[in-house]
Amino acid sequence: MKFYKYLSIQLLVILTAVVVFQSGCCTGKPPEPVPPAGYLYLSFQHVVDGNPIVFDTMIYQNEAGNPYLVSEIQYFVSDFTLWKNGQALLLDKDEDIHYVDTDIPKSLYYSPSDNIYEGDYDSLTFVFGITEEKNRSFMFVNPPESYMFWPEHLGGGYHYMKLNGKWRDTNEVVQPFNFHLGIGQTYDAQGNITGFVQNYFTVHLPASSFKIVNGLTTKAVITMHVDEWFKDPNTFDFNYWGGHIMENQQAMRAAIENGHNVFSIKFE
Amino acid sequence: MLRLKVIVPVFLLLSVLFWGCPNSKPVEPYQPTPYTIDIPKGFPTRLNIPKDNPMTVEGVELGRYLFYDGRLSGRTQPDSLMSCSTCHVQSSSFEAGINNPRFPGGIVKGLNGVATHHVMLPMINLVWNFSGYGWNGYIWPENPNPNLRNIEDMVYAAVTAKNEIDGDTTRIKNLFQSIKGYPELFGRAFGSDKVTFKNIEKAIAQFVRTLISANSKFDKYLRGEEQLNQSELHGYVLFTTEQGADCFHCHGGAGNPLFTTHLFYNNGKDTVFTDPMDRYAITGKERDIGAYKATTLRNIEFQAPYMHDGRFKTLEEVIDFYSEGLHNSPYVNPLMHHVADGGVHLTPTEKTDLINFIKTLRDDSFLTNPAFSKPDKFPDDYK
Ligand code: HEC
Ligand code: HEC
Repeated sequence: MKFYKYLSIQLLVILTAVVVFQSGCCTGKPPEPVPPAGYLYLSFQHVVDGNPIVFDTMIYQNEAGNPYLVSEIQYFVSDFTLWKNGQALLLDKDEDIHYVDTDIPKSLYYSPSDNIYEGDYDSLTFVFGITEEKNRSFMFVNPPESYMFWPEHLGGGYHYMKLNGKWRDTNEVVQPFNFHLGIGQTYDAQGNITGFVQNYFTVHLPASSFKIVNGLTTKAVITMHVDEWFKDPNTFDFNYWGGHIMENQQAMRAAIENGHNVFSIKFE
Repeated sequence: MLRLKVIVPVFLLLSVLFWGCPNSKPVEPYQPTPYTIDIPKGFPTRLNIPKDNPMTVEGVELGRYLFYDGRLSGRTQPDSLMSCSTCHVQSSSFEAGINNPRFPGGIVKGLNGVATHHVMLPMINLVWNFSGYGWNGYIWPENPNPNLRNIEDMVYAAVTAKNEIDGDTTRIKNLFQSIKGYPELFGRAFGSDKVTFKNIEKAIAQFVRTLISANSKFDKYLRGEEQLNQSELHGYVLFTTEQGADCFHCHGGAGNPLFTTHLFYNNGKDTVFTDPMDRYAITGKERDIGAYKATTLRNIEFQAPYMHDGRFKTLEEVIDFYSEGLHNSPYVNPLMHHVADGGVHLTPTEKTDLINFIKTLRDDSFLTNPAFSKPDKFPDDYK
């Protein structure tokens, strides 16, 4: 009797020890106190002349008067940064290059994995394309990102964007255009490449102040106004620049300059 | 008593600790050896291997036998044998080859003597294809039809198609059940000696996933082991520039060493499209009319005749087509942005350089790798 009573106490002690030991080893240290924080959830949409884009249908006309259609848009946005009193908070540090592809629905959403401290933020900025520091060849081995590679010969790294479509030229012939942006090149008189030009730029979004609330997700829609690529300040005429521009820094420069107001943001 | 007082708690403590230990597994009678695919440098790390068919050494071994065993037709008469390897020949990069003695011009025919609807596709690096098998990609992982999702399903299709192996699955599994040595191989690969057609599919699919080519001259160049000559280097620049030959957007390059996107394009061969088995048949999207998969250019010199209908017999003809033979139509893919000029207009030297570059994608070790070749004999010593 005495022995069994002793045994049950022992058992209790042992079991308690085991439970404490095992739970301690499996779940790690007790959690540190977390400052109040929430999340950001971004979605991407694409409009032409203010209306949701309709693909593969020649219903648009750009500033230069070229009738055109769009088949697909594929691009990188990176370095999402939140601003508060002049202080920058870079999201997702090393994995902050997001790929958007109008053919891949799940690419139209991006939720930075960082949780963001509660409070009011003044603005959001991001880089269109990839910065020189991060735009390294072979860093994406998996599709679809790897399909965006920009040939080594032309500067390497990745396309910032492939905007593919067709326009009707002055002879009424429908021709494809590949409005592709990435690292540009400078050439000498013989056509040899003498250097490379970084064409990425930071997008400053007007009216992008927002609030992060503890435990909640703040949602925002980033809109690409496709027609803006072809105007302001440069009227981009396909009849003049032709259907391919990867090796034409002047054309890419004109496009990039038009890029400043291509994006807008709306918080829900 | 005292000893018991000590021993019992210690025993209890130990047993409870071990019982909670996550590493202790019950002994299993069926323990296949995992087969690991070594991912070549620069290749995608994501592999298209279905969860219910993990790669094992035993599965691959069995799959190799079945791939090569003519009795996969379910018949044993010498004139009724047919297996995957009847059409998919290693020395032709697992196509039939344009000089195939059985299939003149590389136009393959099934056991019923009728030609397949399209010409052959090779079997190279298929484990990296997520977007679709077949010229129009009718087999793909997210297919709502669960029977058309992966290479396993392609095995079923090839075995049962009238103009391919024209087999009966019940007869086939019964035949293999009766062949000495095979039941044991199924047992080792799948844990049961009972031959099922599902396990035939799984084994062959595992073998097909091992067929990897990553050792061409161009791969060695990228690894810094070999240099390309002037002509090949110039061809490479042409291949990867829009103002050159402009092939890379669809057929890859250093940044996409598969040398395909596995995606579907209308590459401007025609103006009228009547094939009921183009990409449009799968998606119903107008832009896919006359579109087919851009095939890998690895080992392409062995894969004539070219295009889904085999219209070109030589690489030279293909290059002439891209250079000056394109046809504009509402369906041509925008990436063919030289189409309004009829092509990319290469000079004769440029054409030679481009072909010389494409030939650096030839991988002899793939064509002769003993692990991919016909076994010396089958499990029952049949040859
Ligand atoms: C009669 C000749 C023939 C036989 C036998 C045959 N195939 Fe094929 N295979 C073809 C042809 C032709 C194609 C191209 C099919 C298409 O899309 O129209 C093909 C395509 C394929 C593909 C798709 C490759 C890709 O890149 O999408 C796979 C996988 C395949 N076969 C596997 C097999 C397997 C496994 C077997 C044996 C069970 C087999 N085939 C037997 C002729 C054959
Ligand atoms: C718009 C995408 C695209 C571009 C650009 C392109 N191709 Fe293709 N290529 C395809 C497609 C799609 C097919 C298969 C078409 C078919 O079977 O009807 C193909 C087929 C081929 C084939 C035959 C493959 C086989 O297995 O039969 C070769 C060789 C080839 N292309 C080489 C080239 C070269 C060289 C260039 C550059 C001059 C090039 N391609 C540019 C999409 C493209």
